Amino acid sequence: MSTQTISKTSTWGGGNSPFNVSYGKLMMWVFLLSDAFTFSSLLIGYGAIRYSYPSTELAQIESLELGFAENVQEKFAAPGVDAHHGEHFIPALQDLGVFNETQWPSPDLVFNHFPFAHGLHLPLIFVSLMTLILILSSVTMVLGVEAGQRGDQKAVSKWMLLTIIGGFMFLGCQAWEWTNFITAGARMWANPYGPPAFAALFFGVTGFHGFHVFSGVVLNIIVYVNNLKGTYAKRGHYEMVEKVGLYWHFVDLVWVFVFTFFYLI
Amino acid sequence: MSSNTNQNVDIHDEVNYNPVVWVPKAHSHGTSDIWKKFWILLFLTIIDVAFYFLMPPSMARNIIFIALGIIKAIYIVGTFMHMKHEKLGLASMIVLPMFFIIFFLVWMMYEGNFWGTI
Repeated sequence: MSTQTISKTSTWGGGNSPFNVSYGKLMMWVFLLSDAFTFSSLLIGYGAIRYSYPSTELAQIESLELGFAENVQEKFAAPGVDAHHGEHFIPALQDLGVFNETQWPSPDLVFNHFPFAHGLHLPLIFVSLMTLILILSSVTMVLGVEAGQRGDQKAVSKWMLLTIIGGFMFLGCQAWEWTNFITAGARMWANPYGPPAFAALFFGVTGFHGFHVFSGVVLNIIVYVNNLKGTYAKRGHYEMVEKVGLYWHFVDLVWVFVFTFFYLI
Repeated sequence: MSSNTNQNVDIHDEVNYNPVVWVPKAHSHGTSDIWKKFWILLFLTIIDVAFYFLMPPSMARNIIFIALGIIKAIYIVGTFMHMKHEKLGLASMIVLPMFFIIFFLVWMMYEGNFWGTI
């Protein structure tokens, strides 16, 4: 057994695993690092373009005197106009010069919608809910991984199913957010809130992230079905759950920074 | 031969080499740490929201948000992605390149301030 003698004397001499991980898991880490570079390039581009425009002046936002959960459609509707039909907030702020192509819009005034609360000024609340959903689905995923480490097939099924549901909930939220933004008139090349680059970057980055979530849900469904069929029980280990889990946590990790750069800053 | 061990595989035997998938034995670290990290992440997100509503926008606030984001990232990568139980070599292979990325991100945000003015 010459190979084992070599492996005991030298870490990188062959015949052992220097990082003590399987090939598949190591390659998943390498892939995630390269994917992190891709997302970083998008966020770096965002950071540079964001700061090539001046921010909306604080005094300008304060002069609007927006109250939390105040109905902004009623507030900014012209006298005698039915406030419940059509959009009144965006044209009014365009007239006031708060939304114009030379300054970056404040996320406070752009992402202030919430489902079933039409017209109410609720900044950040919906994205915080999306963040909570993604963190929770990350927790159910890691609980599934833990169940797999114990070889508990039933518990893996339960947690994977909850993770898939969390993924679909997040995708649903993002679809609602996009619908809202597009209905307001935002396109890849046009943006009623300010510079077109704002909309282009929003669609580019959240779209790229959303597609990652979608791919993650597909991978989770494949793992869920395989687990139901007993593939991993037969194989003797649940490492596929861990590898897909790594991808899913990465998607959550990227959202932490999308949330920070797009919605908080 | 068991399918998940390479104890008896001679990798120098080019004729009869059987490339089995080697997977180290998995160990569970329990669920208490996972739930603890969940509550920490939830708490940090609530702190984010609190700063958003209570502090007017400024560079100091941006730095707080980025710092909280990095702390959240450490918990997600360390506990959820199991990185704190991996070998130092693997952890540094993944984490070190990201330091250069953060440097580049800050650099380009600063650089963007001068676009269109010169």
